[in-house]
Amino acid sequence: MPEEKVYEGYLAIRNSVALEEETDLHCFLIKGKDTFKLLDQICPCNVFLQNGQMRHTLLLDENAVPFADVYVCRKWEDAYLLGYWSSSVNMVDWIKQHQGDLSDYSIIDLNESHIFLTLNGPYAWELCATAIGPEILGMPYLSIMSQDFGMVFRAGITGEYGYHLMFPEEQKKEWTEILLEAGKPFDLVVNDSSARAQCSLENFFFDLTREGQHLLTPPELQLQWRLARQKSKYPGSEAMQSIREKGWDRRITCFITNKPATVNDEIFCEKESLGKVLSIGYSPLRKEFIGKALIRKPYWHAGLSGFHVNNQELITISAPAIDNRSIHVNLNLDSYFTRNENQDETVR
Amino acid sequence: MKTDLKKRIELRESTMNDVVEILISALNLEYSPGDLDPDTPLFGSGLGLDSVDAVVLIVELEAKLNISISEEEGIQALRTINSLVDLIISKKYDNA
Repeated sequence: MPEEKVYEGYLAIRNSVALEEETDLHCFLIKGKDTFKLLDQICPCNVFLQNGQMRHTLLLDENAVPFADVYVCRKWEDAYLLGYWSSSVNMVDWIKQHQGDLSDYSIIDLNESHIFLTLNGPYAWELCATAIGPEILGMPYLSIMSQDFGMVFRAGITGEYGYHLMFPEEQKKEWTEILLEAGKPFDLVVNDSSARAQCSLENFFFDLTREGQHLLTPPELQLQWRLARQKSKYPGSEAMQSIREKGWDRRITCFITNKPATVNDEIFCEKESLGKVLSIGYSPLRKEFIGKALIRKPYWHAGLSGFHVNNQELITISAPAIDNRSIHVNLNLDSYFTRNENQDETVR
Repeated sequence: MKTDLKKRIELRESTMNDVVEILISALNLEYSPGDLDPDTPLFGSGLGLDSVDAVVLIVELEAKLNISISEEEGIQALRTINSLVDLIISKKYDNA
């Protein structure tokens, strides 16, 4: 079981709403005439976006290994590059290395002046609307909205409603208090990154700090949907082309097991080695351990049993591993205050 | 490899191929089968399908695979390609 504080945050994300200061979320504002030409050059996805839209993609190195898990967001002629990457990555230098002959742009690192307070949970939308305004209710998934204080990005990696609220650093205390006060009737809990990470694992979201450490490519990570198939030129495109031509013989698959295992533990079918554990954590909802394993072809399918890790049975399953409550919450009909207490999330 | 595991893998692969083929043809997706990973989300950030696509897809799956999918089953299964495969296998084979 996770520690009590992590568990409390996890339950809030899954059943009500949780607040987190996301210190690992980076944000750049890119301005200038060449902004979207530049993004088109560095991103493997299609960056044609309408004002207010955001798209989930990856930034790849020359071997097509992701080093950043990002959203490209459009605000009129400007763009936000929002996402997770290691602090050891010098993103500005990397962008400059790949700018080609584009120079009419500037990058503002918003982490120097802003902070992120993130609300996650099936009723995050309701708390957000209470604290900020009813216009929040009109935000589709993967959209952005300007506010007097800064920006709202509707995304999230927990499988529940998620709102990343970007505030100027000097307003952090004021807005934390506003959200905590408005959150009282919603049983708001302050969570840390561990609770978010567990939810992200259950929903099969990519995590750079876990499976992202194993130098895997998008097909092996089951992340080809983050790349535009028709796009042929971007950093890592030659490696991707080669992978697609040659094929790949392993990929990550979601699994469950009753006993803990550790990263890199080997997975067997009888005495035959099939792959290894890449990430694992206890799922309070499923009451068992859930993880991601790198499994070779043809054993890489979900729905298979007869495998074992550390002499414990391991079963591969389809992602996501749970039936998120947010899927069943209707913004027009439901409210935290009229919720069905018995309608907890269920195991798929 | 044990025979029952081999059969399970073959069933999974053939059902996956059916689902991917129906998905691409019914919705005119600009993907080839190899581009669609089994755990790709169907809605939102993944393939970006909408509620109309969902109805079209369910109708096609029902017609081509000779199964019936209820609204509740559809909500549960229309999350990823793999979750659709789970539903079809459970309907066509596990309960046979």
